[in-house]
Amino acid sequence: MHIPDGIIPASVAVSGYAATGGLTWLSLLGIKKQFTNPRNGIPKAALLTAAFFAASLIHIPIPPVSVHLVLSGLMGVMLGWFAFPAILVGLLLQAVMFQHGGLTTLGINACLMGLPALVAASIFRLRYLFGKEKPLPNAILAFIAAFLAVAMGALMAALLLIYAIPVYIDISAERTAVLALSLAHLPIALIEGVFTAMVVLFLLKVQPALLESEKL
Amino acid sequence: MIAEAALSTAVAGSLLSRWEARLKLPGLLILIFSFAIVQDLRLLAPLIITAALVYYLSGLPLSYLFSRLKLPGFFLLAIAIILPFWSGQSVLWQLGPLALRLEGLLGLLLIATKFIGILTVAVALFATTPLAQVTVALRSLGIPWLLTDLLLFTYRYIFQLARDLQRMRTAARLRGFVGGSLFSLKTLAHITGSMLVRSHAQAERVFQAMALRGYGNTSLPLPAFQPVLLDFLLLSIAVLLATGFVLGQYIF
Repeated sequence: MHIPDGIIPASVAVSGYAATGGLTWLSLLGIKKQFTNPRNGIPKAALLTAAFFAASLIHIPIPPVSVHLVLSGLMGVMLGWFAFPAILVGLLLQAVMFQHGGLTTLGINACLMGLPALVAASIFRLRYLFGKEKPLPNAILAFIAAFLAVAMGALMAALLLIYAIPVYIDISAERTAVLALSLAHLPIALIEGVFTAMVVLFLLKVQPALLESEKL
Repeated sequence: MIAEAALSTAVAGSLLSRWEARLKLPGLLILIFSFAIVQDLRLLAPLIITAALVYYLSGLPLSYLFSRLKLPGFFLLAIAIILPFWSGQSVLWQLGPLALRLEGLLGLLLIATKFIGILTVAVALFATTPLAQVTVALRSLGIPWLLTDLLLFTYRYIFQLARDLQRMRTAARLRGFVGGSLFSLKTLAHITGSMLVRSHAQAERVFQAMALRGYGNTSLPLPAFQPVLLDFLLLSIAVLLATGFVLGQYIF
């Protein structure tokens, strides 16, 4: 899901930064609407960002390989508007500390993970329509939100990688590669969906206030 | 900790670590972006020489760079396996269905050189600039305080939470949890959920303690900006080099 430095043209990297600027601005507007003093929400959002950062170290076995969790869906579900800045900060720290991702591609990567997280946040908010305390609607919405977040991110990354790689690859090979990359992420998206639904059910029992992103 | 201490000793006094962060960050970022622009293969040699020079000025040992390149290197390996055999039409060498293609090889050379060049400068930049200084530099570049505060707080908690998570997993293993199949998903979800609940409870306490000490009421001013001639000189060299790469790419 992380696009590293050097692989995409500079124009795409700069466009990624521009889009990230726009999405950050939109998120900050949303946060400011939500809080009278937005600073009050930072310590909790930061702690959750760090928690997500640590949780991405958990590996799930999908024989014969094991994959690490993306958790962009869960971030959207739990952080609401804070999800985008949180992902941006998390990705910057990953790039700086582990050289995972890239500096020139930070904007693109933030869009690839952050935009689906915002979509996941919107989907999970539908629980207020179906009953926010009922386990089944919460679990189903959490599954859909996380599944879509991973699938959407993977599809966007695959399309971007194939069309932005600055070397000639024939069209049929491109289509095959996009399809293969997307299909490879399908089991990950399914597992992420089930995992997120399980975490949401756990939180619903133990501390439901944590699922109210507007009360961060 | 020992490794971090050794690293601080290695970079202490180096030209790059003495460079004012508020000029170093934009200077080296401009250089990094100029590397990203490069598509002309003739610019690859100057690119790698510039990256090597920046790394030399950081005072870091070469072994540190290799250790940092290990993880992203796997990506490079994947590209090296795919590109030369799938991209392009000029076949250089063929063995059965496998054909080594010129365009793919040149593409690999371009991507690998830019990738290593950018990473080398980025490693030198962040190994010689503590995160607190990076945050100050980002603030002075106009990044909203909400993002920089979030960055500092997140950095503060990452190591602690990673330790908590490790401890919980050890506790689970001691209770007989193996975690080798998909059936372990529920246990892993509950471990993650518990970590989030604990984190949240801790965040509440930390926030209350910080609010008592005045956090959120006033905005602290940034440390005084007192650059010397050398800081501007290094910035000018970085901008000149970056301009050289842009001109080299688009004009010559």
